[in-house]
Amino acid sequence: MAGFSELIKNFDKTRDYVRDFFIYGCKVRSDFDRKSIRTYGDEKRRVESWIGDYMRYDDSVRGRSVSISVDSGHIPENPLYNAYYSKSFTDNDIRLHFLITDILQDGKSRTLKEIVDVLNTDYGMLFDEQTVRNKLREYVDEGIIISEKQGKALYYSLTSDNADSFLQDFKGLDDALKFFSETQQFGIVGNSISKILGLKNDLFFIKHNYIIHTLEDILLPEILAAMDEERYVSFRTFSEKRRKKGSVPETENQVIPMQLLVSVQTGRRYLAAYIPTLKRFSAFRLDYMKTVKKGKICENYDALKAKFDRNISHCFGVSFGMRREIGTVTPMKITFFVDEEKEQYILDRLEREKRCCTLEKSDENLYTLTADVFDPNELMHWAKTFIGRIVRIEGGADSVRERFYSDIARMNRMYGGDEDEHIQ
Amino acid sequence: MNIFSEIYGTYFRIAARLLENEVTDEKTVSETVRREGFRDSVLFLPRKLIPNGEDWGLFSRTPDGDLKRITKNAPVKTLTKLQKMWLKSKLSDPRIRLFMDDETLSALEKRLADTPPLYRREQFRITDRFTDSDDFFNEQYIKNFRTALEAVKHRKIVYIEFVSGHGNRVNGKFVLLKMEYSPKNGKFRAYCYLLRNDRVKSSGIINIGRITNIADTGRIFRTPVSIDDYFSSRKCSSPAVIRVTTARNGVERFMLEFASYEKHTVRDLETGEYTVELWYDRQDETELLIRLLSFGPVIEILAPQHLRRQAKQRIKRQAELLQQLR
Repeated sequence: MAGFSELIKNFDKTRDYVRDFFIYGCKVRSDFDRKSIRTYGDEKRRVESWIGDYMRYDDSVRGRSVSISVDSGHIPENPLYNAYYSKSFTDNDIRLHFLITDILQDGKSRTLKEIVDVLNTDYGMLFDEQTVRNKLREYVDEGIIISEKQGKALYYSLTSDNADSFLQDFKGLDDALKFFSETQQFGIVGNSISKILGLKNDLFFIKHNYIIHTLEDILLPEILAAMDEERYVSFRTFSEKRRKKGSVPETENQVIPMQLLVSVQTGRRYLAAYIPTLKRFSAFRLDYMKTVKKGKICENYDALKAKFDRNISHCFGVSFGMRREIGTVTPMKITFFVDEEKEQYILDRLEREKRCCTLEKSDENLYTLTADVFDPNELMHWAKTFIGRIVRIEGGADSVRERFYSDIARMNRMYGGDEDEHIQ
Repeated sequence: MNIFSEIYGTYFRIAARLLENEVTDEKTVSETVRREGFRDSVLFLPRKLIPNGEDWGLFSRTPDGDLKRITKNAPVKTLTKLQKMWLKSKLSDPRIRLFMDDETLSALEKRLADTPPLYRREQFRITDRFTDSDDFFNEQYIKNFRTALEAVKHRKIVYIEFVSGHGNRVNGKFVLLKMEYSPKNGKFRAYCYLLRNDRVKSSGIINIGRITNIADTGRIFRTPVSIDDYFSSRKCSSPAVIRVTTARNGVERFMLEFASYEKHTVRDLETGEYTVELWYDRQDETELLIRLLSFGPVIEILAPQHLRRQAKQRIKRQAELLQQLR
């Protein structure tokens, strides 16, 4: 595989592959029909190199199937962070990184010319001023170097904030780093601090850990900045479903970002935003988003945000449904059977999981949940975790209730009713 | 300012590690690359570090064949703006109080006074976290958490009194192996072994929020324990086998929701259906069952039989309830 490099330039492409390997868990080369065979081979090799022990192969009739199977509740470090640690660079990038920081370590400020001279005289490295200036500018932006104007000249010095002194000065920071490095969001940034300090997480495991989310963190700084600056954002969304249907897999969106919605149960994260062309709020999956860019200022941001804050309280999950206004659908009422004497834990469950709904006792051993939510479908996904206890469903949309009844009938047949056809 | 930058990269980090010593050698270069690099780094990185005409020029060869760094000092471990912004964001996370006292937090706040946060907490909304999360502001909780964490770090034997999930009062001497955090529950738990006469009697998990008393016995548990053995002792004997159909985008929804499980998947090339084997902790079986049921007829539990039987019982009861309703 001539020309293979472990390092990557384009994060989006890699994100695509890792996601497919990781989520579908069952892909063969021919499934990646949109990519060349060479690209597939290179990406697979890279992911193998990063993920090492977690890659799993299965021989199938269509070729070797590749998947990433990670018991992510029992790992000390998210292996997908390696994607971030694989950025390609030039020889000059690494030379200048170590040499400039070495020169400035004595605490003195220097001009560009002085730095270029020292590079030549003390290290025997010839660089033109423009190359060094660009690197200095980049490092000023990263906060590694501070620039200060003295008279007409710009002086550069090294930041005094270093990881060792932080660790020494702030007791408990090491344990905090170990924990927060593995939690959302931007755990990767904490992990990068742990790495320079040589700290390894030997204390914490994270249950219900969706490690794939780290790949979406790449999009967040631009979205967060747009929220802070009350700007529009534009991005492309791609959909596997649309691709399979043969329609254009990517669409361009321009929206006003409101909040990032995180589901800790379904493994999905969304950007909740206002779509001006449709005059409604909607939620966009982060894992389907690419190339986010801040746009123009939104003049009525505060008013939209206030409206959003009112509306979000009627979302059971992330869906704003198809209703234009709240109240056009009757609130949904679901009545559960709970043996009050023996099943306090069921009541506890209802209480802690009911989100924006209200729960009240409606009769002996009967509890009714009232949900005034935009999208009753989201509610029903959760309500099905109480299968065996749902006594009555009222209100909401007819189609949602009918679907529940037919689902139960289908499941009853699937599991055999009185005779289980699948159990021999 | 970018998270995806070479300055955080593995190659830069390995180079920095090697530049810590004035003199190094080829063997150390290879070993460091093997230990800290990606699987194939040893094929690419040493030739860029060891002088050969194509290297980065960070080392020169000494007369006795060693490698001398061209820099004067060990590399600085500067914190970037992004890293400080991340730390600043964490200051407003209540869980930071578990690790740092008020005085330290104020000092850190002061040190980062000019740094904006990377994000604000209100920019994110967790849609489905359970409401009975641990109280990270409770002083007693913080104290118990810290004692438990110290016990994990040093394998201390601790005496613990707690209320079990079934409401029973339990006490005993425990060795704590690791801490676990669940974002779904917003709770910390400790993986532990219950000791009787200084020997491991059984394995368990204790919710930190349920601890009413925890005290250091002053003794260390010196018998080697393996975390893998602990997990194996709690794992299901055979995996849950699930048939996932393509209806309602079932495959994608299922694979994403169960992404955190160790699994093995096989796809039927004709129907597009997946058969997924999921390995789970035995104590999470009910949680797994209800999550599977929430997918409705999109999936079917094929095995193990006892899991399928439980699903069947619940569905049958539900069908009967609906029969009465209609």
